[in-house]
Amino acid sequence: MAANPERTRLRIGSHLFLMLLLAAFLFPVAWALLSAFKPADDIVRSPLTFDVTTFTLDNYTAMFQDVPIGQGFLNTAVVLLLKGAATMFFAPLAAFAFAKYQWAGKHLVFGAVLITLMLPTIVLIIPLLLEMKELGWVNTYQALILPGAVDAFAIFWMRQVISAVPDELLDAARVDGCGEFAIFWRVVVPVIRPGLAGLGVLTVMNIYNDFVWPVVAASTERMATLQVVLSTLAQNITGNRIGADYATVTGELLAASSVALIPLLVLFILLQRHFINGILAGSVKG
Amino acid sequence: MQRHLLRRRALLASAALAAGAPALAACGPDIASDGESGGSSLLKAPDRTEGEITIWDRSGDLFEVFEGVIADFNAKYPDITVNHVAVDIDAKLQNTLITGADVPDGVFLDDAKVGGFTDYLWDLSDVLAPYAADIAQQKLDVNTVAGGVYGVPFDLDPGLLFYNATALEAAGIDVAAIATYDDLLQAARDYQAAVPGSAPIHLEQSAFLGQLQLEMYASQLGTSIADADGALRLDTPEFERILTFLDTIRSEGLGTRAEYLTPTDIAELDNGNQVFYPWAIWFSFAPQQVLTETAGDWRAAQLPAWDAGGARSGAMGGSSFVLPKDGPNADLAWLFYEFLMFDEAGYTAVWGPGDVYPEGLATSIPSYTPAADPAKPLYTEITALGGQDLWTVATEAGAQIPGGTPTPAWWAGAVDYLGNNVQRMLDGDMTPQEVLAQSSEDIQTNLVDRQ
Amino acid sequence: MTALAAPPATRRAPRAGRGPRMRRRLAPYVFVLPFVAVFVAFSVYPLFFTARLSFTDWRGTGAATWVGWDNYTYLLTNPAFWSSLGNSAVLWLLIVPVQIVLGILVAVLLNNAKLRLRGLYRVAFIVPFVTPLVAVAQIWVVLFDQRYGAVNAFLGLFGLPDTGWLTTSAWSKPTLALLFLWKTTGFIVIILLSGLQSINASIYEAADLDGASKARQLWSITVPLLRRTIGFAVVLQTLAVFQMFAEPFVVTQGGPYGSTTTAGYYLYNHITRADLGTGAANSFLLVVLVMALSLLFVRLLRAKD
Repeated sequence: MAANPERTRLRIGSHLFLMLLLAAFLFPVAWALLSAFKPADDIVRSPLTFDVTTFTLDNYTAMFQDVPIGQGFLNTAVVLLLKGAATMFFAPLAAFAFAKYQWAGKHLVFGAVLITLMLPTIVLIIPLLLEMKELGWVNTYQALILPGAVDAFAIFWMRQVISAVPDELLDAARVDGCGEFAIFWRVVVPVIRPGLAGLGVLTVMNIYNDFVWPVVAASTERMATLQVVLSTLAQNITGNRIGADYATVTGELLAASSVALIPLLVLFILLQRHFINGILAGSVKG
Repeated sequence: MQRHLLRRRALLASAALAAGAPALAACGPDIASDGESGGSSLLKAPDRTEGEITIWDRSGDLFEVFEGVIADFNAKYPDITVNHVAVDIDAKLQNTLITGADVPDGVFLDDAKVGGFTDYLWDLSDVLAPYAADIAQQKLDVNTVAGGVYGVPFDLDPGLLFYNATALEAAGIDVAAIATYDDLLQAARDYQAAVPGSAPIHLEQSAFLGQLQLEMYASQLGTSIADADGALRLDTPEFERILTFLDTIRSEGLGTRAEYLTPTDIAELDNGNQVFYPWAIWFSFAPQQVLTETAGDWRAAQLPAWDAGGARSGAMGGSSFVLPKDGPNADLAWLFYEFLMFDEAGYTAVWGPGDVYPEGLATSIPSYTPAADPAKPLYTEITALGGQDLWTVATEAGAQIPGGTPTPAWWAGAVDYLGNNVQRMLDGDMTPQEVLAQSSEDIQTNLVDRQ
Repeated sequence: MTALAAPPATRRAPRAGRGPRMRRRLAPYVFVLPFVAVFVAFSVYPLFFTARLSFTDWRGTGAATWVGWDNYTYLLTNPAFWSSLGNSAVLWLLIVPVQIVLGILVAVLLNNAKLRLRGLYRVAFIVPFVTPLVAVAQIWVVLFDQRYGAVNAFLGLFGLPDTGWLTTSAWSKPTLALLFLWKTTGFIVIILLSGLQSINASIYEAADLDGASKARQLWSITVPLLRRTIGFAVVLQTLAVFQMFAEPFVVTQGGPYGSTTTAGYYLYNHITRADLGTGAANSFLLVVLVMALSLLFVRLLRAKD
């Protein structure tokens, strides 16, 4: 790093550019986190100011009192655990079959993966809902968990990652008498661990933030996930808010959003190295 | 992620799979066979008073109000447990009714939406019969479809002229003299002359609420966008007159264009630029909870009339309670709503002073006329309205609302056409005649003809 | 790969001579079975259902009436259907090119291991990705309010007039596009970073020696070498933009004047009106469109090889 004027200008320029983007990217979230501590009326009336003297926890107390957020967390946790586990186990397994085996029908089944990737959720909402009705699954955990339980993007991505595992490694294991599943479990999984870590974080985020299907599939408070709880709250503001206490609801919504955001944010910051390196693991020469 | 990102062959295979789907199609709804003619959909009053009911309400202030009434209900019916939940009704009701799973026993619903769900709802004409004569005609009418009544009418929402008394007085304008909409225009011109830069009359910018307000003006003239048989009647002199009035406000620069109680709207109300707000009674929520600078300055009066001596109010919005047929204890839910709406202890608890609204639920009045007695106020004088007796103004206005027609199932869908075109007119891009002709044509082809 | 077929297992005595080989042939079928089961149950079945539904008039209750191609002809001759596709196309134009350019710039900068604050930047760019959309929607409404929003307040400092970001059909799409960019660019940056990792640093050293400027290196070395990753990102985002539903649902409800009624949102409109037959027909048209677009992009990528 000698005093090369082009270099220096470039370095300053890139930091300026990145800082500007950083501000733009963080501002809305910071605004939400801070505004949740303002009196509800002030959020609506003067959204841009922050007066330390009026700092309040009212939005939080009101929210915890009015909103079944604990139940939301519980349901999200159950879905996260089961659906996440299904994707984390079955997606790499399927990806292994696509990446390392030749078999009749492979293209057809991979086509199915691509179709799933391309199907807008909204397209399937009504038929899926009627299917849940036939199965008697409306307002059950299975309805929240099973559709999309083996995520197509995860398969697609893990296929790239597993392709990079040298065939020699697998053959060596076979020579050692390993069964096919044992090869996956004892050879492939340890090798792709960084990729799996990335997949884990991504899966958690996707499931945690999913709301189009859960809003439809969970109509009772008992089954409402965190995002369903949030969207119920937001409905008062985004819908035609006839008579609704706009300010109070906005305050509660920001408090609830903050509570929902923080675990994920903390998880992400703690795991960001794994996540990013994990995704980068997909790049190991194809 | 470098090689074989997407395999063309796989994609082609998947395309073939999808193309084959229509041919296979063995699953789907029954096609024209059973025809849902089963049992009667007429709800009978229960002969039991024991059980659990699930009641859906929107979250927010009304939820809290109803929550507070449950204890009073239980004083009368101790063996009925009320499971009261806050639900995103717009997003959930339809799907729940379609699947028939965990269907609630009673649901709070906008009047404008009742017509869309009648296939799933109990016909309440039998249980409502003892009260029907005492329910505001307009509320009964909006809930009536093909002879059945599908909602327990909740609130009556008379349109009122809200105005900033302090600001208008300072400008020397006498609101009591405003008897017709022409007078209102003149008062607005005078106010603008006194306060340069002001834009005295609210012009609604949300397509949905704009259409709702349009129906308020129409209700005053005894009409609505659909007649009793659900046929469109938009391209009429009445609607042209209303739109011309709104277009005049726009062309003369007398209107503040904003969405109801968004930050822009609030600020313009609070700084004295916007001083006339012809709106349903639920606007009273603004001075009570939203406005700060001008909270005590606002008052409500009856609306101006279209012609001297004409009706001084029209209905805008409002909600009812519907009872889904698949709700296991809908008959008990009826007891709940009967108590809420027609029992003095019930309606007093709903509209009277309480924890949520210390001065009473002054955002609506009961649709049950014995409860909406000008002589027996349920709520007290409203501080945010300078101590005004809103009850008397509202109940007297409510009594003037002409009868209505059932809201057609496609009403909300019409917002895409009529609601939007009204906004285009307020942008200066369409004339009132164009709005009516174009909207009529679009609503007919896209909504009425596709029912 | 078959050429490298494993020699017969020798060390441990095989249970039967053809056991391992047979198991190896069957294994992939077993491995994809869970996916296939979920796919058949929750994608194929609903798709067939939708297919049949699309030829009927059904309001969600009672019997459906067979209407033949009526729903399709209604949609295909309806300007509102085409304008929903047009809206999605415009959003695509507003989002994808910007996102790719921005993504490449940021990824290239973050790829420099010597960059200070690299961890901070990485976290910052991915934060929007983890923020619940419902909360973001409220933030957007407040920030982009015409008269009192932060955005207009900021632009006012430069003497610019107030803009109706969410209230005029001219600006609603860019505002929605911005939300989408904000929410997803971090993810695209990471995908592009993964592509950059596989470029050999020595290429740049050689270019430095030749005196090529950084800008020139970006254009003539990085972009061509990243072409496949860029293509992948483009396909992913194309799918995402044409499926976009939640963003207009929570921010604009398709308005003003239907200007943010995307293909997905238009479809939802039929559903809310209980016009499930038309909704199903619209679903099929949308699926066909999305698949056609994907094929098109794959073909374009191949053509450049």
